Amino acid sequence: MNFLITFMDSAPLFLKGMGLTLLITCLSLLFATPLGLLVMAAGKSQNRLLKAFTRFYIYLVRGTPLIVQIFILYFGLTDIIKLEETIAASLALAFHNGAYLAEIFRGAIDSISKGQFEAAKSLGMSRLLTYRKIILPQAFKRALPSIGNQFIIALKDSSLAAFISMNELFNIATTLGANNFDQMTYLLIVSIYYLILVSFITLMTNLLEKRYFYVE
Amino acid sequence: MKYITIITMLIICIGCQQQDSKNFKFAVSGEFKPFSYIDKKGSLNGFDVEVGRLISAKLGLEAKPIRYKFAGMIEGLKAGRFDAAVASHTITEERKKFVNFSSPYYYSGPHVFSRSDAKDISLKDLEIAVSKGSTYEKAAKKYTNNIKVYDSDITALEALSKGRHQVVITDLITGSMAIKNGLENIHANQSLGASAQGIAIAKENKKLQDQINTALKEMRSNGTLKQLSMKYFKRDITSKDNSK
Repeated sequence: MNFLITFMDSAPLFLKGMGLTLLITCLSLLFATPLGLLVMAAGKSQNRLLKAFTRFYIYLVRGTPLIVQIFILYFGLTDIIKLEETIAASLALAFHNGAYLAEIFRGAIDSISKGQFEAAKSLGMSRLLTYRKIILPQAFKRALPSIGNQFIIALKDSSLAAFISMNELFNIATTLGANNFDQMTYLLIVSIYYLILVSFITLMTNLLEKRYFYVE
Repeated sequence: MKYITIITMLIICIGCQQQDSKNFKFAVSGEFKPFSYIDKKGSLNGFDVEVGRLISAKLGLEAKPIRYKFAGMIEGLKAGRFDAAVASHTITEERKKFVNFSSPYYYSGPHVFSRSDAKDISLKDLEIAVSKGSTYEKAAKKYTNNIKVYDSDITALEALSKGRHQVVITDLITGSMAIKNGLENIHANQSLGASAQGIAIAKENKKLQDQINTALKEMRSNGTLKQLSMKYFKRDITSKDNSK
């Protein structure tokens, strides 16, 4: 009963925080998805320099913790450019997820059998056309579960923005918890909000997976 | 099956290490220089830590300072994770509902820090950064809804010096020391009142509260508390009259 009252009382604050969490996540994914595709394409190109560059980028992102990347964008770059905190957090998340998405896309494409490329070539299709009409639709279907997974991770990782003072879900939970000397209740409440958001992403991926069931 | 049993037993053994009654475990934040910080050797140090050590000596126990996030300390006390928190807690009625406080061991007050050096700026509707769970957050709420919350005062001050937010509310001494230690283009702006800082102790532990109060009294009368204050701040912050 008490829990319900606290839940209702804190709802306006949490809903505001949820808005911010959604904003950071959506902004970052909006950048990360094309970035991932671009990096994947660059990695598949014949240009050695491009290839080396993408490898270095992925190495850098996977080799450092996300919280370090966020702090570097927030504190480290202030001498050069002062990024607004929403932008700093979203960019760090985009930079981070771009690398993981690139690897997901690459893995999916590599899983398509070589015979299909050869068949397309023997039909006289160009490389670009082969990718667009034959490889990518199949690869997309295979990548879908992993993409959904990565989107969920991105959503939950947005909680790290709390450490650069953004009033997103997690920061609101811990601040309320500290002020009311009751972390447990607010952490349980914030879990509900995250569960709702994650359910939404899960639902979307499930729908997409159904929509693409006929491929293959 | 045998191995599983052994491993489970081991985990249980590690999990319930017996509480040692010869220790005085006290929490400090480690993020509130010069009251508590990690020194070059990696150990906890600072005014709060040394007060805790002196009290341990008076109680005849071994000092065990523990680093804990300030925002969770009152709850840590309630859960019995440590015996006391010597962490510059301002004594407030709200906190008293959950823990007991010793008599004050130093006096200070919330202070406004800003980038501009204009005197006594109006705080209305400014973006104010504070540390989580602090009384400064309450102080800021009187002026604005635009409050940014950090895990530590020092991080908030660093963000201010890097051009973020408009002002930070924190302890006068902490802020001044941060400026002295190299945080650039921020200034002490105005005082928002006085506060008394006490050691927090769990509600049930009335005996420890009395013991700590006696220890503090002794440390006041024999001058060790004042000495410690002179060592860190070159003035006596431990008596109410000298705090201004």
